[in-house]
Amino acid sequence: MKKKRTIKSVEMKIMGFFREARRMPTYSEMVTLLDVRSKSVVNFWIEKLVAADILKKDAKGFLQPARRSLSLPLVGEVRAGFPSPAEEELRDTISLDEYLIARPETSFLLEVSGDSMIGEGIMPGDLVIVEKGRDPRNGDVIIAQVDGEWTMKYFRKKRGGIVLESANPDYPPIRPKRELTVGGVITAVVRKYHT
Amino acid sequence: MDEYIFGLRSWPRAILHIDGDAFFTSCEEAIHPELRGKPLITGGERGIVACASYAAKRRGVKRGVPLHEARRLCPGLIILPSDYETYSLFSKRMFDVLRHFTPQVEEYSIDEAFGDITGMRRALHSSYEGIARTVKQEVERELGIGVTVGLSVTKVLAKIASKYRKPDGFTAIPGRDIASYLRDLPVKDIWGIGHATTHYLSKMGIERALDFARLPEEMAKRRFTKPTREIWQELRGESVYPVSSEEKAAYASISKVKTFSPPTNDREYLFAQLSRNLESACIKARRYRLAPVKIAVLLKEQNFHTEGAEARLSRPSARPLELSGVFRGLFDSLYRRSASYRATGVVLLDLIEDNNIQYPLFESPLRIEKIERLYGVTDLLAEKYGKHTLHLGGSHIIEKFGKGKRGTPTEREQTRFRGESKRKHLGLPIIHVKV
Repeated sequence: MKKKRTIKSVEMKIMGFFREARRMPTYSEMVTLLDVRSKSVVNFWIEKLVAADILKKDAKGFLQPARRSLSLPLVGEVRAGFPSPAEEELRDTISLDEYLIARPETSFLLEVSGDSMIGEGIMPGDLVIVEKGRDPRNGDVIIAQVDGEWTMKYFRKKRGGIVLESANPDYPPIRPKRELTVGGVITAVVRKYHT
Repeated sequence: MDEYIFGLRSWPRAILHIDGDAFFTSCEEAIHPELRGKPLITGGERGIVACASYAAKRRGVKRGVPLHEARRLCPGLIILPSDYETYSLFSKRMFDVLRHFTPQVEEYSIDEAFGDITGMRRALHSSYEGIARTVKQEVERELGIGVTVGLSVTKVLAKIASKYRKPDGFTAIPGRDIASYLRDLPVKDIWGIGHATTHYLSKMGIERALDFARLPEEMAKRRFTKPTREIWQELRGESVYPVSSEEKAAYASISKVKTFSPPTNDREYLFAQLSRNLESACIKARRYRLAPVKIAVLLKEQNFHTEGAEARLSRPSARPLELSGVFRGLFDSLYRRSASYRATGVVLLDLIEDNNIQYPLFESPLRIEKIERLYGVTDLLAEKYGKHTLHLGGSHIIEKFGKGKRGTPTEREQTRFRGESKRKHLGLPIIHVKV
C-alpha cells in the first residue's frame, strides 16, 4: 500500500536533506525526494509547510527552515521518574564546520606564519578562516596587501584614512602609501593541539 | 525587415552561461596572489599546457603546446602541476553561487555552467541582465576568479554570448537582437556543430550562422538530422535544450587514460598502468551500477601515435577479475617491444544497467558470484581506506614504483595540516601568503 504523505513526513524528508546537504533542496530535487509527480505538487506541500511556520521564504524568495531546532531528535517514550536530559534539550546541533564557517562559498584557509597578531591570540602555525567576499568593518582582523607586501592586521578607519594596526608592539601601525588591497576578513581562528 | 524573423519577444526564456576565464590558472592566481597577472600555465605533470593564463596567452602559449615549446615562446614562464583538488573546490563554489539565484543549474563541466533564470525577475527584483551581471560580480568577489557570462534565450545562444567577448565579458542577446550576433559568426563556432556538419553546410554554400538559422523550416527538416535541426531551432531562439539540474546518471561510455613519465616499454609496468586504468574505470561504472558490453584498450606512443583494440565481452561486467582474460589478450595484441609508450587507457563501451545480467552458458555461476562478493568488499574497503586499497596483482607494481608522475607534487599535496591524512583534506582552498 502506498504511504500517505503528511506534513510531518514531508517535513522530515526535507529537513533530512537539509541536514545532509546543508542547503534546501531544489524543487526538482523535492520531486524525487517526496516521490511526487510534479513541481506543482511540491509547491502544494511547500505552501503548507510555510503556512505551518515550518519553512519560511527569505527576502529573495528562497526557502529556509523557519526555526533552527526543526528536526527533533527522537527521545523515546516518556516513563515515570526523572526525565532524561535528552527530553529537556530538544535542540538540533550545528557542526563545528557550520559554527566556524558561516559562508563556505567564500571562505579560505590560511596558515599563519608571522607574529604580528599575537596580542590577539593568533600565533604562528594557527589556521585562520578568511572570508573573501566580506567588506571589512572597523576593528576587524584582515589580510591585506600593502604596497606589494601581504600582512595580517586590525583594520581601523581613522580621520585621515585607513590605518592597519598590529597586535604586537614590535610592529608600528601602517598607513598605506600607495595602495591597499583587502584580501579578506578573518572570521575564525583554529588551533589544534592533538590529532 | 528580415532582421526580425527570429524572436519577437526579448526574453521568452532567460538562460545564462557562465564560463571561467582561464579557469585553472585563475584558481592558482586566487590562492597565490603573487602570481596575479604573470605568465603561468598548469599541466606541468603532463608535459603539455593544460591551461595558460592570459598573460601567457599573450606571449603565444596555447593549450596543448608541449612544455619545451612553451618555455621557448615565453622565457620566465611559471609552470605549475595541475591541482585538481583546488580547482574542484572552486568549481563547486562557482555553481553554488549561481544556485543562490536559481535552483535550475546545469554543471556542464568543471568551469562552465548553465542557469535558467526565467521568471526570476520579480523574486530577485532585477532585470535578467541585472541578475546575470550580479552573478558575475558575486563569483568574482567571493571566489576571486574572473568569469565571463553570456545571457540569451536558449543554451546555444547563451554559449555564443559568452564566447562573444572574453575574458571578463558580459554579453546579453535578447530575442530581437539574435540576427546581429549571428551575422559574422562562422558556423563551425556554433556549439554542437562539428567538423562534418561544417563541411556539409559549406557544400550548401552556408558559411555563417545567420545563413544557417535563416534556412526555411521545410529545408531544415529535409536536410538535417535531428541534432543539427535542434541547433537550428536553438539559434532561432526556440529553446529545445532544457537546463537540467539532475546529476549525470547515464553514461554512454567511461574512459580512463593516464599519462606517465618517463615513457617506457617495460611490459609489466605498462600492463600494470593499464590494469589500473581498468580498475579506475570499473570503479566509476560500479558507482553508477553500469556494466560494459565492450571494452577497448589504448596505448599511446611517445610520438603521440595511438593504437587501440576492442573486444566484446561474453557477459557484461564491471569487475576487473571477470575481464582479465580478454583484457590480457587485448594488451598482447597491441604491445610492441620496440615502441616507447607515454600513456595507457581503457574505455568501457555500450554501458548497460548492471542488474539481472544473465550468466553465460560456459562459465561457473559460482565463480561469478564469488567475484561479485569480492568486489562488494573491495568497494567497502575503498570507501574506508581509499581507492585501490584492494587491487589486482597486475597493477600492484604501480604502488611499488610510484604512479609515474611528472615533476613536483602540487602545493596542496605537500601541505598537510595536523589531523589531515594523505587522503583526507580540509574542504577549503588554502591561500598561500605569508602573514
